[in-house]
Amino acid sequence: MSIGLSAPWALILGITALIPLLKRGQAAISYPSISMLPSDPLSTMLDRLLRSSAAAAALSLSLGIAGPYLHEQWVERVGTGAHIVLLLDRSSSMNENFSGSYMGGRAQETKGAIARKLLAEFVARREHDLFAMIDFSAAPIYVMPFTQDRPAILAAIEATSGRGHGVTNIAPGLAMALDFYSGKPFTGSRIVLLVSDGAARIEEETRDQLRQWFQETQATLYWIYLRNPRSGRLSEKPVNPGESTTPEYFLHQYFQNLGVPYRAFEAENPEALQRAILEVEQLENLPLHYLEKLPRRDISGYCYAAALAFLALLLSAKALEVKSWPV
Amino acid sequence: MRLVRRDWRTTALFVATVLVALTFADPKLPLPLRVYRYAFVIDITQSMNVRDYHVANMPADRLNFVKESIRQAVHDLPCGSEVGLGLFTTQSVQLLFEPIEVCEHLRVIDDVLGHVDWRMAWAANSFVAQGVYAAIRDVKNRDPGIRLALFTDGQEAPPQTIRPTFSGKPGEIAGLIVGVGGLHPTTVPKYDRENRLIGYWENTDIAQMPESSTAYETTETVPRPPREGYYLSWLDENHLRELSATTGLRYHRLETPEGLMDALRAPEFVERRTTKTDIRWLLGIAALLLFATVYLIDGGEASKRT
Repeated sequence: MSIGLSAPWALILGITALIPLLKRGQAAISYPSISMLPSDPLSTMLDRLLRSSAAAAALSLSLGIAGPYLHEQWVERVGTGAHIVLLLDRSSSMNENFSGSYMGGRAQETKGAIARKLLAEFVARREHDLFAMIDFSAAPIYVMPFTQDRPAILAAIEATSGRGHGVTNIAPGLAMALDFYSGKPFTGSRIVLLVSDGAARIEEETRDQLRQWFQETQATLYWIYLRNPRSGRLSEKPVNPGESTTPEYFLHQYFQNLGVPYRAFEAENPEALQRAILEVEQLENLPLHYLEKLPRRDISGYCYAAALAFLALLLSAKALEVKSWPV
Repeated sequence: MRLVRRDWRTTALFVATVLVALTFADPKLPLPLRVYRYAFVIDITQSMNVRDYHVANMPADRLNFVKESIRQAVHDLPCGSEVGLGLFTTQSVQLLFEPIEVCEHLRVIDDVLGHVDWRMAWAANSFVAQGVYAAIRDVKNRDPGIRLALFTDGQEAPPQTIRPTFSGKPGEIAGLIVGVGGLHPTTVPKYDRENRLIGYWENTDIAQMPESSTAYETTETVPRPPREGYYLSWLDENHLRELSATTGLRYHRLETPEGLMDALRAPEFVERRTTKTDIRWLLGIAALLLFATVYLIDGGEASKRT
């Protein structure tokens, strides 16, 4: 626990504490001859007490002005949660709505806009999880490292409102997502949350590579597939299967054989997408070590409280003071 | 002589006590604050891999020079400023995250900036003019108050025969076009996906015509690029100055991080905000002054014990 000062220069005001030690701070009263009065130990003690509380008042006041605070700290806690990589499709088709017409990047009904809104809510609800984020189209883009910095993740999700570009190329995105787990301790569950509206063929060689990485990292794969009515369902064998015409069917088959937990959620409308996200939310809750940030805490209030107490003492002494001597 | 008047010391002490008591009401005053809000957009096409910077303690290649300059700028911007990051290739711009506060989110911003890589490009061409216009549209759609700082060497690759038109209003979005690179034509390194140097780009690699010509309005004939030899890249300042005139963005040539910082902090880009500022310290100082007067000013006739 370390203490910082937001205005260290104010400590110099502490010098004022010397003043009451040197000066009396009371009105002098004429008296014919004080040498006739015997010295009174009680009075002397009272005088010292008042002067030192005056000094203490000045000290605590200066300290309060200097603004002491406890530094922010990270506290390790154990909760339930997951390390979640959001792998978001940014190909141009995300600008379409669920029935497949182009809506413009900023329109509210596009697949991208709905996914964005629901994901933001999801991130906000999962308060203990660590999130990372990757955008992908032709190439994966490193958007956010694993972090608990909620506003940053939300800013990244919000940023996907710009127009998407290019084609869907899933394999490099998955590879980058899995790479996020390498060298990380196994704590909490590991989830790759793939949100895409299409699929693409993955080369044979890459498939083996990805399968191996999935097994090494033991990451769970969730695929939220934003299906438009014209494209096929994942589970139904298409009428004329072909990896170029119905890549989603083959990708689904491949994912099922990865050797790690895998679930696909088909969403062909906003409600289905919401259901899918809620379901993901309930699935994964394993013990997770996470760090909680205790924000910087201002403690100058205590200094002002002390100063107030000492000042009140002085003030009451003042009130009891003899203002003039009955002659 | 008997003076029956109110004792000023008691009053002063009383006022001081009240002032200190007031600090518990958490008094705040709106004070003006000068902050900046930037979207930094970085060209990540391969000409940005050209190594033509020669500044001590700085990377030699354009992309890393830009990243390091932005990193320093982010560290130097006053707290309360916000920074977003975006990438540019072909004719389009992709924002990675919207502007977030620089002090609180410094770690994340640093990390993401460090990972910006030419391999994130979703295509290899660079149509700079369209990219600048796209960046302006993107910023305008999000929040026209955000300043744009777009880092590019300005070179159209492949060379353009036709100029796209700017549909926005000049000066609508404020900000900078930052010219990156040297004026001297230099070879462009060619890397494989593992970032290993495999040679240099040659003109034959690039000389084909633009893929789509529908986006352009007129056709002029320009000299075709040479068919052989190395493809050379330099900072095309004329082009960028032209774009600057069209769009109303200011032009700045990136030479040092300090120079960039000065350009970013130009008065026209400042955003004035008022923030509720804690003023307990003001009350504290006033109380302390009153308190000191009580003791410093001698009053009445002195009569000392001897």
